[in-house]
Amino acid sequence: MPRIELSLTGRPKSGRVVGIDLGTTNSLVAFMGDDAPQVIRGANDDALVPSIVFYDQEKKRLLIGEEARQRLITEPRKAIYSVKRFMGKGSFDVQEDLTLVPFQIAEGSEQVIRFQMGDKVFTPPEISAFILRELKERASIFFGEEVTRAVITVPAYFNDAQRQATKDAGHLAGLEVLRIVNEPTAASLAYGIDKRNEGLVAVYDLGGGTFDISILKLKDGIFEVLATNGDTHLGGDDIDNRLIAFVLEAIEQQTGKRVEQDPAAFQAVRNAVIAAKHELSNAESATIKIQLDSGEAFTHEITRADFTQRIADIIERTMQPCKQALRDADLNTEQIDEVVLVGGSTRIPLVRQRVKELFKREPHTELNPDEVVALGAAIQADILAGGSRDLLLLDVTPLSLGIETMGGVVAKIINRNSTIPASMAEHFTTWVDNQTGIDIHVVQGERELVEDCRSLARFTLKGIAPQPAGLPRIEVRFMIDANGILTVSAKDLRTQQQQSIEVKPSYGLTDEQVEKMLLDSYQFAEEDIRKRQVIEARTEADIVKRAAEKALMERGQELLGEDEQATVRQAIQELEEAMRGDDHLLIRNKIKELDEASHHLAELIMDNAVSAALKNRDVADVAEQGK
Amino acid sequence: MICSYCEATTDGGHFCSACKRLQPVAQGTDYFAFLSLPKKLRLDEAALEKTFYALSRQFHPDYFMNASDAERLASMERSSLLNDAYRTLREPLQRTKYLLALEGYKEAEKKSPPADLLEEVFELNMQVEELKAAKKMGDADELLEARSALEEALAHLNDKLKELDERLFKFFDQWDSAIDNATIATQKKPLLDQMSELMSHRAYIGNLVRDIKEELY
Repeated sequence: MPRIELSLTGRPKSGRVVGIDLGTTNSLVAFMGDDAPQVIRGANDDALVPSIVFYDQEKKRLLIGEEARQRLITEPRKAIYSVKRFMGKGSFDVQEDLTLVPFQIAEGSEQVIRFQMGDKVFTPPEISAFILRELKERASIFFGEEVTRAVITVPAYFNDAQRQATKDAGHLAGLEVLRIVNEPTAASLAYGIDKRNEGLVAVYDLGGGTFDISILKLKDGIFEVLATNGDTHLGGDDIDNRLIAFVLEAIEQQTGKRVEQDPAAFQAVRNAVIAAKHELSNAESATIKIQLDSGEAFTHEITRADFTQRIADIIERTMQPCKQALRDADLNTEQIDEVVLVGGSTRIPLVRQRVKELFKREPHTELNPDEVVALGAAIQADILAGGSRDLLLLDVTPLSLGIETMGGVVAKIINRNSTIPASMAEHFTTWVDNQTGIDIHVVQGERELVEDCRSLARFTLKGIAPQPAGLPRIEVRFMIDANGILTVSAKDLRTQQQQSIEVKPSYGLTDEQVEKMLLDSYQFAEEDIRKRQVIEARTEADIVKRAAEKALMERGQELLGEDEQATVRQAIQELEEAMRGDDHLLIRNKIKELDEASHHLAELIMDNAVSAALKNRDVADVAEQGK
Repeated sequence: MICSYCEATTDGGHFCSACKRLQPVAQGTDYFAFLSLPKKLRLDEAALEKTFYALSRQFHPDYFMNASDAERLASMERSSLLNDAYRTLREPLQRTKYLLALEGYKEAEKKSPPADLLEEVFELNMQVEELKAAKKMGDADELLEARSALEEALAHLNDKLKELDERLFKFFDQWDSAIDNATIATQKKPLLDQMSELMSHRAYIGNLVRDIKEELY
């Protein structure tokens, strides 16, 4: 008999695993249907959830997706968009991004960005978690069961911290993240599933904020990634920013005013250029129209040729990673059998043209570039749920893993484009006599010097028995799991004992911080707020009630008249009744009434206590006190 | 070998012959043994790929999501060992390096060029400097000249690498036939010594090529 677990919301827990594309601009959720993956649509039949979170300070409410997008225009300071660009980053990394978005950064953002939204502060994993929660809810409504397990996609070129941040976001959203899958690889699954194709495939994925290129070998249902490359800071956002800068300039020429300081005007400009960009994928020209605060209207006609020329260098930046991936795979463009386009930005004609020129073939665009990643994630989700064993994805780690050695030089231990899981054992020893700890600094990147690579974490091997220098032999195993996330274990080779390791991630949240956020996040589940309020009110009521009962029983007879005693008794009874219900406001009201009814009694008890205390003390004491 | 789950005696394979569960990796398992390959240097790369795919389908963590913690760990260990083994053995130079390391040879890059390249390397360093200078000055003619000189040198070095590889592959044949003819015990040391020497020369030239490419492209 199937076991049905009940969740907090009262829905039975679902055994399903969904696939989620957590995008820079839009996010979506899909599942594996009977014979094909399928996107789960919302109430308005929309597949895409805009990756925007808006905090309504007055109502203490969060708006996600389309609702948030609408409020973004009028109250931009309370909204966060393109949060994916900030995942796994510290404030130092994102100085440039911050000049382009109206977000306010709170104190203490060195290791994890903290966005100030009204009176609240949120980190990128929390913002992402709100979006994931929305998708989770969408899927749960669709199935009539609580969906708790998911596969989430990330750009292939995401580093360890960015992947970990995504996993944290899933956890915060109440999802068990079975796998972090690379977006281009997921897309290749969606393309390859019904075609029993064999051959070499290049997946070109240009999304809202990131660019990936992956080269895969398809054979016997195995999708083996040979090489991947990319730029986690290159996408549609850059194109938007280019056009925004141009429009702001043009507005200044027309009106003599710079409007970017006005967040609402800035959003109006942003929306107008995005609309124009979309239009230019199909039309030869588009009109950018903005209604300015001054009542003036700004209008500019932009042709596709002009647009193409303005963004050419941005698109060109995708070419170098493509060439590098081909080199790493030891292939030339002629050997590639198929090219697949993924991501909304591949709708831009210039992108299609450049890809076609580079690979000398017409790229595939049959599947909706916005949906293909989620569809692939759904296929991977099905594999993990134990559904299909026909297909197997063998992915790689995009960046080399190294450790710091003498003089700040990196010793590579796992090279980029190694199939994952991958592992490497390194041996360490002590430098001075009786040293009991060894510090290890792990970095990610291709450069020779630590300062040019991305600091990933610092580990301390602890509890080494005091011995002469060089004698301890500690084996540290660095393992990159199938999510592309590093785990480290250490063993004392003499004693074969597992060694304890203390991990300090350089960027990102510690496990404790995630757990704390998880607790904090409940205040936004409205159901939970109400429950908590009732529980808190009851607890307080219980304390007040006990105190009143005790006072009445011990001193009521002595200090109060019959009438007053009856009033207090009545108030206690009414509070008891309120406590049985779950209206926290009523409970609070009755607490207040009991407080008032027993106020006189409390005063009398207090007076009595004071005079009793004075009576028992020497006059000298009191005099002393008075000095 | 004893199965770590049901304690049956196993044949040392990837799975327990009795309870069919995936076994943890025994300490010190070498790549050849793991893939049931003889310690030979000539290797059928297509067959190796087939083995890699077949074993991936048996070990991959995707298929152990609902298994016990111990089996999930075994799946992760075995998959990563498989990936490491495949990555290393499929490529002749990595394979040679791995065999040398297994036999206790330390990887060493020669600090000075092979005798027959001494003059050429000296010349090369100058050409690299010239290219750097030309880049700095932005002189198009100079740049073109320095580039073509370096490209020529690069081509020559690549030829040299090919020549070294040919020599290495001859050692492969000698090594493999020594194993086949059971004469490996006496031939092992001289063969490994020569391969190690060759590999360190190769590493020197390989680094040179890499540096030049970095300057050029």
